[in-house]
Amino acid sequence: MTMATTVPAESTATSKAGQSDTILSVRDLRTQFFTRDGVVRAVDGISFDLNRGETLCIVGESGCGKSVTALSIMGLIPQRAGRIVGGTINFEGTELTTQTEAEMRKIRGNRISMIFQEPMTSLNPVLTVGAQIAESLSIHQGLDRRAARDRAIDMLALVRIADPKRRAGEYPHQLSGGMRQRVMIAIALACNPQVLVADEPTTALDVTIQAQILNLMLELKDRLGTAIILITHDLGVVAETAQRVIVMYAGRTVEEAPVEELLRNPKHPYTRGLIGSIPRRRTAAQRGRPRTRLQEITGLVPSLREEIPGCAFAPRCGFAVERCQLERPTLDIHGASHRAACWEVARVTAVPQ
Amino acid sequence: MTAYILRRLIATIPVMIVVALFVFFLLHLTPGDPAAVIAGDDASPAEIEGIRRKLGLDRPVWEQFGVYIWNLLHGDLGTSIFSNLPVMTLVKQRLEPSLVLAVATLVVAVAFAIPMGVVAAWKADTTIDRVVMGFSVLGFAVPVFLVGYLLIYVFAIQLRWLPVQGYRPLSEGIVGTLRSIALPAFALGMAYMALIARITRASMLEVLSEDYIRTAHAKGVATRSVLLRHALKNAAVPIVTVIGIGLALLISGVVITETVFNIPGLGRLTVDAILKRDYPIIQGLIILFAGAKVLVNLLIDISYTFFDPRIRQ
Ligand SMILES: Nc1ncnc2c1ncn2[C@@H]1O[C@H](COP(=O)(O)OP(=O)(O)O)[C@@H](O)[C@H]1O
Ligand code: SF4
Ligand SMILES: [Mg+2]
Repeated sequence: MTMATTVPAESTATSKAGQSDTILSVRDLRTQFFTRDGVVRAVDGISFDLNRGETLCIVGESGCGKSVTALSIMGLIPQRAGRIVGGTINFEGTELTTQTEAEMRKIRGNRISMIFQEPMTSLNPVLTVGAQIAESLSIHQGLDRRAARDRAIDMLALVRIADPKRRAGEYPHQLSGGMRQRVMIAIALACNPQVLVADEPTTALDVTIQAQILNLMLELKDRLGTAIILITHDLGVVAETAQRVIVMYAGRTVEEAPVEELLRNPKHPYTRGLIGSIPRRRTAAQRGRPRTRLQEITGLVPSLREEIPGCAFAPRCGFAVERCQLERPTLDIHGASHRAACWEVARVTAVPQ
Repeated sequence: MTAYILRRLIATIPVMIVVALFVFFLLHLTPGDPAAVIAGDDASPAEIEGIRRKLGLDRPVWEQFGVYIWNLLHGDLGTSIFSNLPVMTLVKQRLEPSLVLAVATLVVAVAFAIPMGVVAAWKADTTIDRVVMGFSVLGFAVPVFLVGYLLIYVFAIQLRWLPVQGYRPLSEGIVGTLRSIALPAFALGMAYMALIARITRASMLEVLSEDYIRTAHAKGVATRSVLLRHALKNAAVPIVTVIGIGLALLISGVVITETVFNIPGLGRLTVDAILKRDYPIIQGLIILFAGAKVLVNLLIDISYTFFDPRIRQ
């Protein structure tokens, strides 16, 4: 049996450096979609804290609720499809889930920004990229036309787009995918936000430029002191960028730890599966091919339409016991800053990776 | 951009040539002697001969065609058989009311339809949406003359706000013109309003689900600006296309509306010419209407470049 004690989520935020360290605090967030076939429990009780200037990675297979978590924070869950049904999102003392749309609009793109996965479709095709950057500045900083335009050109230079003056007058279709994502970064950082939510910002890009874009983001983040929630399904990215990692499965957090600890000492069978599925040494034939996605864990992500009483990973888990089907595992502390939601951690960690 | 416009311009030339050919042979393809057809059943051989000479039908066909095209290029649409006046003169006399009616109809239709469509899309599946769509089904189903008589009854006869019928030329003051054209424009505009509102809604709905609209929200852009600045311009191409088609269809609508409201425009000229079999007028009007449609299409094509930068190349 486990030696862990259940710790209320509230205590972890203040555990290290005092309250002022945390900028965004998510507690028991639940977001659901109401479809014709029933309720989709896309996010089913997520809790985490984001510290100032930190890079927090959220990792998990596709469909496990990463994007919905991001959209919930932004207040961008499509109203007709779903909504946040429970939990709190505290941003610098402001409760976001109860803000009016007008109040959220003052925060979005200003103090919290988001970068999306699809650079090819996320920019408006009929507006120049300069105008799209300038818009944020005139909305949130009240800059006039010319000042906003000049700032937009500065931002293009900041994200290292050559000849920014000319590019500012161009339309998205005249730019490559990588450049469009740079523009998205420029838009997101234009108002110097405290939090940047980046939802798989490099997944849709060519492998050769993924690293460039990622490095650019991290460099600017350091320069501007922005905290980042970086969503990815690529543990390689996690290893290179994160300070702390949250592993998500079926709308829930299954493990959370500092990055080195998580990669060296994973305690949840799902995390172990993810790590095991990274191709370690690529054979000659594999080299040059894009890295394979994380699909090597056998079995499928469960349907989120039915309430899962026990552990959502149980059908795919080699360690599952009867209790796993019946009781939902709690997110317990297993070592310093390391939490995992599994009833069988002791048995799991006894097996070498 | 210039190349695009030039290409479109050149593309209109073959269309106009085909129209000219069709119009010229309209007379020659009618079975029997064209002069006899025009003269009617109870004309004497001498009368038929007169018409034949007047229309130049006694000369070889290729020569007739050459003369016809030559005249066309010089703005000469022929001469009316019955009034003996140049067709161009007759057209000029009747042009103003029709043009004013067409423009007023278009303005009314667009001014109401686009806000209706935008709001319906924004509030999709709500009561507002259903009301707008219900109206658009109705506006489409009810014929122009019925709407016309209804409007006359309510606004002219009962409320006495506007004249029952007739047309006041611009030279007598624009207020009078607008008053005389208001009811006809609404009567005729109803169907276009319905059509344009419908396509605006559909096009907006599609655009509103695009990723870049989510980006706009993520930037904190206000709803109004999301709808008008980010969405509407993207939704514009299908809307403008339908407006163009509507404008082309407007011509047949103008004929009916001018009859209902007793407006002395091109529509009435057309009806009269057909009844009297005044072929030169009919031919001239076909050329004019076809030219107008081609021009509208050209303007629509050019307007695409304004809305969508991707077409500019
Ligand atoms: N608008 C929506 N309507 C219904 N279901 C949705 C909607 N958006 C997301 N979902 C569902 O929520 C779950 C989580 O999706 P998502 O957060 O996009 O996953 P990912 O981790 O790949 O980003 C999925 O099962 C998805 O089908
Ligand atoms: S709780 Fe049970 S089923 Fe879930 S991961 Fe742990 S051992 Fe596997
Ligand atoms: Mg996603």
